[in-house]
Amino acid sequence: MQYQWDFAAVWHHIDMLIVGLIGTVELALVSIVLGVIVGFVVALMRLSHRRALRTPATAFVEFYRNTPPIVHFFWFFYALPIVIGLSFEPFTAAVLALSTQSGAFYAEVFRGGIVSIERGQWEGAKALGMNYRAVLRRVILPQALRRMVAPFVDRSFELTKTTALASSLAYAELLYQAMQVNSITYRPMEVYTTIAIMYFIVLFAASNLMRLVEYRLSRVG
Amino acid sequence: MEYTWDFKVILDSFPLLLRGLVVTIELWILAFAIGLSLGFAVSLARVSSRGWLNGPAIGYVELFRNTPVLVQLIWFYYAFPIVLGAQLSPFTAAALSLTLNTSAYCAEIFRGGIVSIARGQWEGAKAIGMTRAMTMRRVILPQVLKRMLPAFTNRGIELAKVTSLASLLAVNELMYQGRLLSSTYYRPLEILTVVALVYFVLIYPGSYLSARLERRLAARD
Repeated sequence: MQYQWDFAAVWHHIDMLIVGLIGTVELALVSIVLGVIVGFVVALMRLSHRRALRTPATAFVEFYRNTPPIVHFFWFFYALPIVIGLSFEPFTAAVLALSTQSGAFYAEVFRGGIVSIERGQWEGAKALGMNYRAVLRRVILPQALRRMVAPFVDRSFELTKTTALASSLAYAELLYQAMQVNSITYRPMEVYTTIAIMYFIVLFAASNLMRLVEYRLSRVG
Repeated sequence: MEYTWDFKVILDSFPLLLRGLVVTIELWILAFAIGLSLGFAVSLARVSSRGWLNGPAIGYVELFRNTPVLVQLIWFYYAFPIVLGAQLSPFTAAALSLTLNTSAYCAEIFRGGIVSIARGQWEGAKAIGMTRAMTMRRVILPQVLKRMLPAFTNRGIELAKVTSLASLLAVNELMYQGRLLSSTYYRPLEILTVVALVYFVLIYPGSYLSARLERRLAARD
């Protein structure tokens, strides 16, 4: 079968795809920032001696690690508004789903980094009269953060790919915009190939850039 | 706000959810089994010293790892039939894209295992007259398979979660049934929560097993 490629049709609507790309980047950045905050709090809860803090944090992490992201998207968009009595914009629901889900994964990154620092350092710093917060901020985190860069980058990379699911809530990110362009041009082959290449370029460039940062950081230590 | 939970809806919809669960498991087993075997073949091409095998294998792996799975599903359902000249059923398109996606990740796991064995073992096996295939089967694989097990279980868990995206192509798996039922009964809170729990029950044993396996292997080293 001979197929006539027609990328001109897609090129004609490239502005729509650019809007989508910006939507994807926005969603990813906001969710990464919020996810890191959620993750840090959950990690401290998981490391706490108090069971009342530890148990819910563990349940939170296990729940998110063992259920599919698409369920979270739909749950936040269709189910949560019923409980709290107000509805969300697709963007808000997507940010909630992505930042809580990635928060569970970031929590494991933080926890892994913190427990990788030997116990003796906590005890030593305590012996010098430092309190919990001072030890964490001045002794543990500066060392742990460097070790967390690689898993943190991996997680953010996964999160960025997951933003495509927001298309199912009609949030105007790259995949959703591609669907719109497709319904105008009837050129699925060109449209979906184009956005696959766009995703590839962005993700491939971002992951190589981060690998460079990672390499630099590992040499500083 | 006071919300009255309707548990009868859950009982009524359970048979359909179970039917969806069966399709989810079918999709999962099919994509995992073929993805593993295909992944092994790709990893052999990937570790080959011949450029015409090595190059395409790198391209294949990077392409699938640097684009969102959902975009791959959509591409295989809407764009690929144009090249193929025949329409694919939603199930076939989903199974195909999930298989290829899994194979790309499995190829990297196999490759990591294979290159972790010192070169000297290849040379030693060759010196006693073993062919490359024989060396792989009798010397290399027996040593690395156990070490790769946690990585493969993690892949299996990811795949189980990703099968839920097939719902967006209208494959009648668990998530699809859940969405259908929640709009039929107009009870998204109850039904989507139950869908999340069903996924959790399906996936949690796998990740529990994987965590235990990882601990045992770490203790042995």
